[in-house]
Amino acid sequence: MHITSRNKVHQPSVCLACPSCDLMFNVAELKDGETASCSRCGHFLTKYRADQFERVLAFASSALILLILACSYPFMSFKASGLESMMTLPQTASNLWNYGMPFLSFLVGAFIIFVPALIICLILLLVVALVSGRSYHWLRPVARLIYTLQTWSMAEVFFIGVLVSLVKIGHMATVVMGVSFWAYAAFSLFFTLTVSGLDRAQCWNRIEALSQQ
Amino acid sequence: MSDLPDEAQLTAASLNFASCHLCLKLVHVDQHFCTRCGSTMHLRKTRSIERTLALLFTACVVYIPANILPIMITDQLGQPIESTIIGGVVLLINMDSIAIAAVIFFASVMIPVSKLAMMFYLCWSVHMGPPATVRQRTVLYRITEFIGKWSMIDVFVVAILVALINLSNLLVIRPGAAAVAFAGVVIISMLAAESFDPRLMWDQRENNNE
Repeated sequence: MHITSRNKVHQPSVCLACPSCDLMFNVAELKDGETASCSRCGHFLTKYRADQFERVLAFASSALILLILACSYPFMSFKASGLESMMTLPQTASNLWNYGMPFLSFLVGAFIIFVPALIICLILLLVVALVSGRSYHWLRPVARLIYTLQTWSMAEVFFIGVLVSLVKIGHMATVVMGVSFWAYAAFSLFFTLTVSGLDRAQCWNRIEALSQQ
Repeated sequence: MSDLPDEAQLTAASLNFASCHLCLKLVHVDQHFCTRCGSTMHLRKTRSIERTLALLFTACVVYIPANILPIMITDQLGQPIESTIIGGVVLLINMDSIAIAAVIFFASVMIPVSKLAMMFYLCWSVHMGPPATVRQRTVLYRITEFIGKWSMIDVFVVAILVALINLSNLLVIRPGAAAVAFAGVVIISMLAAESFDPRLMWDQRENNNE
């Protein structure tokens, strides 16, 4: 549903400006499950869900458990000519370090483990506070960090990379997927649900409302 | 869809409001910091086109070593074989893995190159582009923004193969210098997309209308 209104445009608290074209919209009258997008350029503005923070809490807890599983079990093993080699998820980053590429190792580790893990922990912290309806002085810096880091998490990209490597080496030898592989697959799904479920405008409106109580 | 014509609608800037890039709060243009989240406020991203162009040129320069240097070194029975990005695609085609060659070619050649070309076009179009296409150009910008991080697939494939394939003496895969350069291209072009401000295109159209 597209919402446009000229009348209430002078109350900035219930208005949003489209991040792509700067047109102003009143989004105060969204009903449960409704999405507002810009009528001029089509950019997504916000989605209102009455139970949004509870949903995010459920997704984020699942994602955290799955990430812990993914880091503690073998990811894949590779067998050829009677020899076997096994990898874990953190080794994707640490082996690059051993081959003398500390910068690349740092980037890979950050994009696939540390940034997603940090985002999930921060979202859990934030959402627990928002669901319980209490305001804390650390809510703003935590939410700022979440939205700043979001661009730099590449869990889903990594998983497509895993599939590509599987096809690349599948004919050379036997590749066995471990617990961590399936856990990370599920993690990237739940992580995407968590991040896309935490609507930017709704989340900040809630933080602001709590601090004004 | 809206029943109001575009001309009847107001932009935040025309009412002296700036939209916070982080929390979307509308703050009066006199404020230097967002009253809700504390971020630094700008009506439009600072020196958007200059920054974007500078990052785009950097990405183009870094893209050269990313293609010339080897991205991966395969040691088979002590014999090192170096492969470049294009070399890897050719090898896959020779092995009849056309589908996977297409994915790699798309992710590591087509996407970075077309993304850079699209961003150059967008920068040029802010002042010179036809006003009628501003909506299409906004969509184009959102596509470049979205596909940016998917080019990292190639770097991740190298990281996975290096970690997984380590059969002492028989078969070892080592990372090559191009992996770092390629990761650099992806990150720099992501930063370029982030520093571009699509609202400038709409501002330009409004100025032309007046």
